[in-house]
Amino acid sequence: MVLAIVMENLKVGYIIEDEVFWAVKGVDLVVEEGTTLCIIGESGCGKSTLASAITGILPPYALTDGKLKLYDRIVISGQLRNYSDVRGKITAYIPQNPGTSLNPFLTVEDHFYYVLKSNFKSSRDFSKKIAIEILSKVNLNSSVLEKYPHELSGGMQQRVVIALALATNAQILVADEPTSFIDAYLRLQIIELLGRLQRELKKTLIVITHDLLTTSIICDYIAIMYAGKVVEIGPREKVLRNPRHPYTKMLLETTPILGAKKQLKPIPGEPPSLSKEYQACLFLDRCPYKNRECHSDPQVQVIENSHYSKCWKAREAPWL
Amino acid sequence: MIQRLSTTLNRSFKKTRFKIGLAISLLVIFLAIFAPYIVPRPQEGLGYVPYDAEAKKLLPPSTEYLFGTDLLGRDLFSRVIMGARTALLQVSIVVIVSLLLGLLLGVMAAYFKGLIEVLLNYFTEIFMAMPTIVIALVLRLTLGHGIHVTALSLILTWWAWYARISYVYARGVVELDYVILAKLAGLHSFKIIYRHVILNIIQPLIVQAITDLGSVLLEAAAINFLGLGVQPGYPEWGVILYEGVFYGGGVEVFTRAPWLIVFPGLFLLLTTLGFSLLGDCLREEIDPQLRRRWHLWF
Amino acid sequence: MAMKTTDHIIKLENVTVGYLATPPGIKSLIRTRYIVLKNINLRVSRSERVTIVGGSGSGKTTLLRVILGLLKPFTGRVFIHEYDIYRLPWRERVKILRKIGYVPQDPFKSLNPMLRVRDILREPLEARGIRKYEESKIRSLVKLVGLPENVLEMYPEELSGGMRQRALIARALVSEPEVLILDEPTSALDVSVQAQIINLINEIYEKFKPAILLVTHDLSIAQYIADRIVVIENKEIVEEGPVDVVLNNPQSHFMKMAISSYKGSIDRLE
Repeated sequence: MVLAIVMENLKVGYIIEDEVFWAVKGVDLVVEEGTTLCIIGESGCGKSTLASAITGILPPYALTDGKLKLYDRIVISGQLRNYSDVRGKITAYIPQNPGTSLNPFLTVEDHFYYVLKSNFKSSRDFSKKIAIEILSKVNLNSSVLEKYPHELSGGMQQRVVIALALATNAQILVADEPTSFIDAYLRLQIIELLGRLQRELKKTLIVITHDLLTTSIICDYIAIMYAGKVVEIGPREKVLRNPRHPYTKMLLETTPILGAKKQLKPIPGEPPSLSKEYQACLFLDRCPYKNRECHSDPQVQVIENSHYSKCWKAREAPWL
Repeated sequence: MIQRLSTTLNRSFKKTRFKIGLAISLLVIFLAIFAPYIVPRPQEGLGYVPYDAEAKKLLPPSTEYLFGTDLLGRDLFSRVIMGARTALLQVSIVVIVSLLLGLLLGVMAAYFKGLIEVLLNYFTEIFMAMPTIVIALVLRLTLGHGIHVTALSLILTWWAWYARISYVYARGVVELDYVILAKLAGLHSFKIIYRHVILNIIQPLIVQAITDLGSVLLEAAAINFLGLGVQPGYPEWGVILYEGVFYGGGVEVFTRAPWLIVFPGLFLLLTTLGFSLLGDCLREEIDPQLRRRWHLWF
Repeated sequence: MAMKTTDHIIKLENVTVGYLATPPGIKSLIRTRYIVLKNINLRVSRSERVTIVGGSGSGKTTLLRVILGLLKPFTGRVFIHEYDIYRLPWRERVKILRKIGYVPQDPFKSLNPMLRVRDILREPLEARGIRKYEESKIRSLVKLVGLPENVLEMYPEELSGGMRQRALIARALVSEPEVLILDEPTSALDVSVQAQIINLINEIYEKFKPAILLVTHDLSIAQYIADRIVVIENKEIVEEGPVDVVLNNPQSHFMKMAISSYKGSIDRLE
C-alpha cells in the first residue's frame, strides 16, 4: 500500500496585515495511492487551503507548520516549502471556476501546447495529438481545439480544464470544487467523469467540495473538515451511514434531497471565524451533544480500520 | 471594501511616509493661515516696494533678510511664506470646485444615463484634450491678470477628470442590488444618488483629490510662471520664479542671484512632496489590491 | 385609487423581452433585438408559491426584472393587481411596486456598506414618507427573521452571509408585501445556513401567507418552497404544474435531466 499523501499536524496560515490567520489548524491525513478522497466542508473551513498546499500553489504570504509528504518527497517541513519538480509533475490542479482559469486569448490547442511544452518540451504537432487523445477521454471531440474559452459552455470548459490536468500526467489530481460553478443538473456528469478517469488511469484523486451529495458518489474515502481541522474521516459507506461526529450527522440532515421531503434540520449558529484561537472543541457552540469534556480539544478516536473521528463521543455516538 | 475612516487613518499613521507627508502638509497649512503674523515684512510680502528699495535690491540671504531680497528690494522670505497662503488657496479652491462639479455631473450621467451620459462623455473628452495653458491664454486675454485666471483655467481642465472618475465609479455602483431596492421602494432619485451612490464613491474620490493636490499646485505655478495668471509682485511661488528668470536676466540669475530661484522652487517641491506622500499612503490603504504587501515577503 | 380585488397578483401576458445591442460587423448600423425570453405567460395568485427553475443564463433573472418594473418588454403586458405597470406614470407604478418585497440574489452586494442595518431596514418606510420611526415594528421584524437586536447598530460588513440574507428578507417584509420575490436565496450560502433560510421562508409563509415567487436552479430547494413549478428552457416556458406532479412526471428536457441527475446521486448513495 503506497501512500500518495501524508500529512502530519499540517498547519497553514496567512499573514494578513501583521496578523496570522490559521486556515488549516493541524491536519493528520494519509491518502493511499489510487484512491479518491473527498474533502467536504463549508466555506472558511480551510479545504481550499489544503488543496493549495497539496498542489503547491500557496501564496508567498502563507505560513506553514507540520509536515506534508507527497510519495517520498517532503514538500512542507515546518516553515519550509519545497515544491520543485512537484507542481505539474506529481500534482495537478483542477481549478474551481474554469471560466476564469483559462486564458481568454488562447485557444484550447494553445493551452495544451503550453502545458505540454513546459512539462515535456513537446512540439506543436505532438501536443496536438496528445490533446485529441485526452479530449476524447473527457468526451470532447477535436473540434474544441480551435475554440476560445468563451465559446465553450461551462460544462465544456470544466472538461477542458480536467483534460489539461490529465495532460501533465501527474499522479495526484486535486479538483477544487469542480461542481460549484456548474448547474445543478449537470453536476452528475462531471463527477462521474472524474470518477471514471480516476479508475481508468489509476490516479489519486482529491475532490474538495461542499456538495456532499453529488461528490460522494465517486469517493472511496470522505474527510469532513470544520474550521480548519478534519473532524471525521473514513470509508464512504461508513461515514455516510454511520457518522461518528455530530457535525457530519447534522450536515447529512441539513442537506436537502430531492424526492425525500424530510424536515430540514438546520445547524444553528455560524462557523467560527478564523482569527480566534480555541482551546475547546471548535464545534462546541453549535453542538447539541456537548458536555464538560468538550472544553478541551478532542483527541482522535479510532472507530475502526481507517475510520477516525475527533469527538469525545465518537464511540458512543448518541446521535445514531 | 469600504473601511471606516478611522481604520484607514489608524493604519496610515503607522507608516513613516504618512507622518512626513502629514507634517509637511500641516506646516504649509500653518504657514498659510498665520503668514501675515509671523512674517517680518508682510507689506513687502504682498508686493509693496519698500522706501529704500534702491539699496536693497538683490541682496543675498543674511540674518536680516533670511532668503535675501528680490529685484525690487522686497524681502523674499516674506514673499515666499505668504506664498504658502496663495498656494493653498489656489489648490483647495480648484480641487474642491472641480471635484464637486465633476462628481455631480459624473454621478448623474451614470444614474440617469441617456442624453446626460452621452453629453458628459462628449464634453469631458473635449475638455480633457485641451491643454490647460491654452485655456489660460484665452482667459488671460479676456479677463486680464489675476488669480482668478489661474483658478478658472485649472477648474476648466480638472472638472473633466473628476467627472470621468466619478462616472466610472458610479457606474459600478448603480447596477448594484441596493440601488435597485431603493428604486423599488420608491425613494426619490436624488436621495438614492446621495445615499447609495455618492456615499460609496466619495472615499476613493477624496483620496484621488488629495493625491492631485500636488499636480494642481505645480500646474498653477506653471501658469503663473508663464505670466498668464497673477501679476509680478504677487506672493505666489510660480510668479516669483518668473520674476527671477525673466527680469533677473535669464540664465544668469543662477549665478547672480540663485536665491531668487532656489527658495520658491524648494517650497514648491516640498509642498508637492508632502501632498503626494499623503495621497499615496491613503490610496494604499484604500485599494485592496495594493494591500497585498510586498514588504511582507521577508 | 381603489384596489381591485383579484386572484392574480402578478400576470404576464405574452411577454417577449430582451435588449437592444449592436451586433459586430456591417450589421452594426442597425441595432438589433436580442431576445432573452419569448411568449411568457405567467400568473401568480394570492398566497400561491411559485418556483421558477431553469439553467443559468436561461433568463430567470430577466424575468424578475420585468416583473419589478425595471425592464420594459418588447411586446406583451405586465399586470400587477390588474394594473399594467408599464403603462402607468412613474408615481403610480411606484405605489404598486411597493406591495412587492424583493430579496436579491447576492447578500454580499445587496446592502449599502455605508449604512447601518437600521437605516437599511427603514428605507422603504422612509420612501413612503413615513417620518415617524417605527422602532417597535422594526424590532419585531428583526426578531422574526432570527437576528439579534443589536444587529440594528451594525454595518453590513459585520454580518455573515446568512445574517445578511435575513436582513434582506426583513427589509422585504417591512412594507408588508403581498408577494415576496426571491432570487436564488440560498446560492451564496453554506449548506448549514441554507436550511435555516428555507425554514425561515416557510415560517414567514405560514404567518403572513404572501404569494411567493422564487427563482432557483436548485431543484431540491424548489420542493421545499413551492406549490407550483414553472420551467424555463430555450427562452420559453416549457413546463408548468403542481410541484409533485412535475417532479414525479417531468415532461421537459431540463426537468428530466435535472431529476435524473439528482436521482442518480441518491441511488448511488443509498
